[in-house]
Amino acid sequence: MSRWSAFQTSLLHPTVRSFIKSVLGSILGLILGLIICKFAGESPFHILKILYTSCFGSGYDFGMTLFCTAPLILTGLAVAIPLRAGLFNIGAEGQLTLGAIAVASSSVVWPSLTSHPALQWLAIPFAATLGFLAGGLWGAIPGVLKAKRGSHEVITTIMLNFIAAGISAYLAIYVLKDPESTQAQTVFLPEFFHLKPFTIFNGAPMGHLIWITLLGVVLFHLWITKSAWGYKLRAVGENELAAETYGISKQRSWMSSMFIGGGVAGLVGVVEVLGNSHRFKMGFSADYGFVGIAVALLARGNILGILPSAFLFGMLQKGSGSLDLETEKITRELSYLIQGLIILGVASEGLWEILSTHLKTRVLKGAKRKNG
Amino acid sequence: MNAIEFKKVSKQFGAFFANKDVSFAVAKASIHGLIGENGAGKSTAMKVLFGIHPPDLGEIWVNDQPVKIHHPIHAMKHKIGMVHQHFMLAENESVLSNIILGQETGRFFIDRKQAVSELDAISKKYELGFNKWNVPVSALSVGDQQKVEIIKLLYQKSEVLILDEPTAALTPQEVQALFVNIQKLKQEGNTIILISHKLKEVLKFTDSVTVMRRGEIVGTRKTSETNEDELAEMMVGRKISFTYQGERKVLANTSNLKPVLEVKNLSIAASAMTHEPLVDVSLALKPNEIVGIAGVQGNGQTTLLRFLSNPAAFSRKCSGEYQIQGKSALRETPLSLRHKGVGLIPEDRIAEGLLLHQDMVENFLLGQHQDERYLKHGVLQRGIAREQVVKKISDFDIRPNHPGIWTGRMSGGNQQKLVIARALDPNPKILLTAHPTRGVDVGAIEKIHDSIIRERNQGKSVLLFSAELDELIDLSDRILVFFDGRIQGEFARNEFDAWNIGRVMGGGQK
Repeated sequence: MSRWSAFQTSLLHPTVRSFIKSVLGSILGLILGLIICKFAGESPFHILKILYTSCFGSGYDFGMTLFCTAPLILTGLAVAIPLRAGLFNIGAEGQLTLGAIAVASSSVVWPSLTSHPALQWLAIPFAATLGFLAGGLWGAIPGVLKAKRGSHEVITTIMLNFIAAGISAYLAIYVLKDPESTQAQTVFLPEFFHLKPFTIFNGAPMGHLIWITLLGVVLFHLWITKSAWGYKLRAVGENELAAETYGISKQRSWMSSMFIGGGVAGLVGVVEVLGNSHRFKMGFSADYGFVGIAVALLARGNILGILPSAFLFGMLQKGSGSLDLETEKITRELSYLIQGLIILGVASEGLWEILSTHLKTRVLKGAKRKNG
Repeated sequence: MNAIEFKKVSKQFGAFFANKDVSFAVAKASIHGLIGENGAGKSTAMKVLFGIHPPDLGEIWVNDQPVKIHHPIHAMKHKIGMVHQHFMLAENESVLSNIILGQETGRFFIDRKQAVSELDAISKKYELGFNKWNVPVSALSVGDQQKVEIIKLLYQKSEVLILDEPTAALTPQEVQALFVNIQKLKQEGNTIILISHKLKEVLKFTDSVTVMRRGEIVGTRKTSETNEDELAEMMVGRKISFTYQGERKVLANTSNLKPVLEVKNLSIAASAMTHEPLVDVSLALKPNEIVGIAGVQGNGQTTLLRFLSNPAAFSRKCSGEYQIQGKSALRETPLSLRHKGVGLIPEDRIAEGLLLHQDMVENFLLGQHQDERYLKHGVLQRGIAREQVVKKISDFDIRPNHPGIWTGRMSGGNQQKLVIARALDPNPKILLTAHPTRGVDVGAIEKIHDSIIRERNQGKSVLLFSAELDELIDLSDRILVFFDGRIQGEFARNEFDAWNIGRVMGGGQK
């Protein structure tokens, strides 16, 4: 076996291939972004240093980086889970908005929670369930429409994003509005609804939630890869017709994956409302739902891959603010630019094709020269 | 003079050499056969010639001149044309539009009159007897669609015509007509390269033949100086037999056995789900019996198979009765049918049978994901399934022999062996089998036929759908011929005759 073919065989495994593509794509995107900085008149090393200090410089900074990462893990899952069943969920933004407002309304939905001290330990689980259900049901709508009517999920999820924005605005302004505030935000939740942050993070709103999130990712990974249910989702996602031929209902897989995906997006409400602001504020989401698409694509639908992928985007998000403050010529938009370039790098299948053919002909010709 | 010459052409996909140092020459104005098993590299060689895959190394010479062909447009410039196995026609458009596509005459508006007169001239010159220029392609028979493809090449003034498996979907009568036309093309000075895996046709209709195996050339022979056995040995690398040699056990008295599967007066109208209606079909399948289903593709066989393997999906769209072991099966789903002892080998293993980006174990679990051997407490027992796959790999001689291999990387024959092993795993009483050897190498065909006959000899019932008449004649106890959604004729084993069956396939009477 030639050197090239031995090398290639070791790369055959699809997971290995996509991992390499994702890593190379990220590096490529970062380099291109830094080249643009150079043209804008800033030293790339300076930019890297700012990004590094901003993300890891202090306990508070690291806590904030994790706080930016957690919602992206959730929305990444919200996109990746339906993706495994063959659906492209563009609606995580709407799902998380409704999830967040449901979490924020939990004290109103069940008033006795607040009045009976014996029930207070239920507050956080109840709020989380409410957030999951709200996001899940919102996600299930396009799932059901796809299964029953064949409506394309990309169209319906986009439309539902707008509707969710409208509903949440209506609720925040007219129904659940905090009467003591002039802003469009809901009432402040009582203290037993609050998640306590770690003290080492010096006030950054991140606590035990990060462990729960990590555990959740591992559980979702096991669910998708080991359970019969997960198997059905994957079979439908990979080959609908084969799945149906062998008795797997694509309709059921579509509906359930969209419900679960939407539910996970709804849990962003737990991070934001219970962990940080303790109320729903309009426009709190830094496009988490849309960045989640990038997170899932970079992870190529691999559930465990969501973790590094979300962390990368979390760092870019956190670092973007510092770029504004600490450089003269670069603004926070640069981080969006890098995010976009990374996705381009990962998605450029043609580039990988050219790279691999180029490498191949070189190795072939080299071998030929050696032999002949 | 050589119309085409390959000089040490190599083409690699990944670590795999689809063509390695391929060299052979095709004389001008001859019919040259290119044969080999599936995956031997003959289609790749022709795709290299037609510019679909530019060669990695080596040269191609046309009319004794070296040329560079990196795109089908270059190939057309050198007057090389190709009829693909799956026709490249826009079905809703007229024959004329399909033929002149890319070669439109006229300055601003297309000059259809001019085109039609040229086409009439071509049809006359080559005695093709075809003039349905304004009929939509979808209304033509497969044989006529093929004629359209050939006329299209002639209209482009191609002198070298590559025909990829041209007889795969034709009745014996249509095959005969095709070869009469090809002879005529040759007499007019055209060169024809015929890709095939059917040795009989190659021997009958070509002037010379090149054999490929595993991406390399085994040799070229004058057709008049070779025979079936030699070519087969060159193709496979060992001696093989063409008809089933194994024992065909006969049960003493099958006539009073009750049928295990019975369909009565089944009718299914054409709908979005199926384009091939069924009209009043009745059939019965008994133990210890292989019933062959013959017919030109598109005459209802696909609908019948889909219905038999998933009747619940047709619940409101069919009339008639379907019984398994004497009980109505109209509401059964694929999973419940599997429970009742029905195994399925689907028509198209890639589209309906496999998850190409998953390994053998995952694929083995498809349809078995609720079998209590492989599912405990909602968790799939990959370890147990893997052991079973290892066993199947040795039983069915599946290669490569590693269960972790991605099925998309396996050859067609080995994919098919996996699909069959999976279907036989729960030990079904009834086997619905469609095209079990389509795209499978000659060596593997023997093994697959063996396992089907073995099932029958053990008292199982097999319904065998196939486009290969030879295969049906070899294996079946009875053959039912479908035409236009109905059973046009039934043949008992002692009445088997390819020519007669072919006539009934074309709509004739027995």
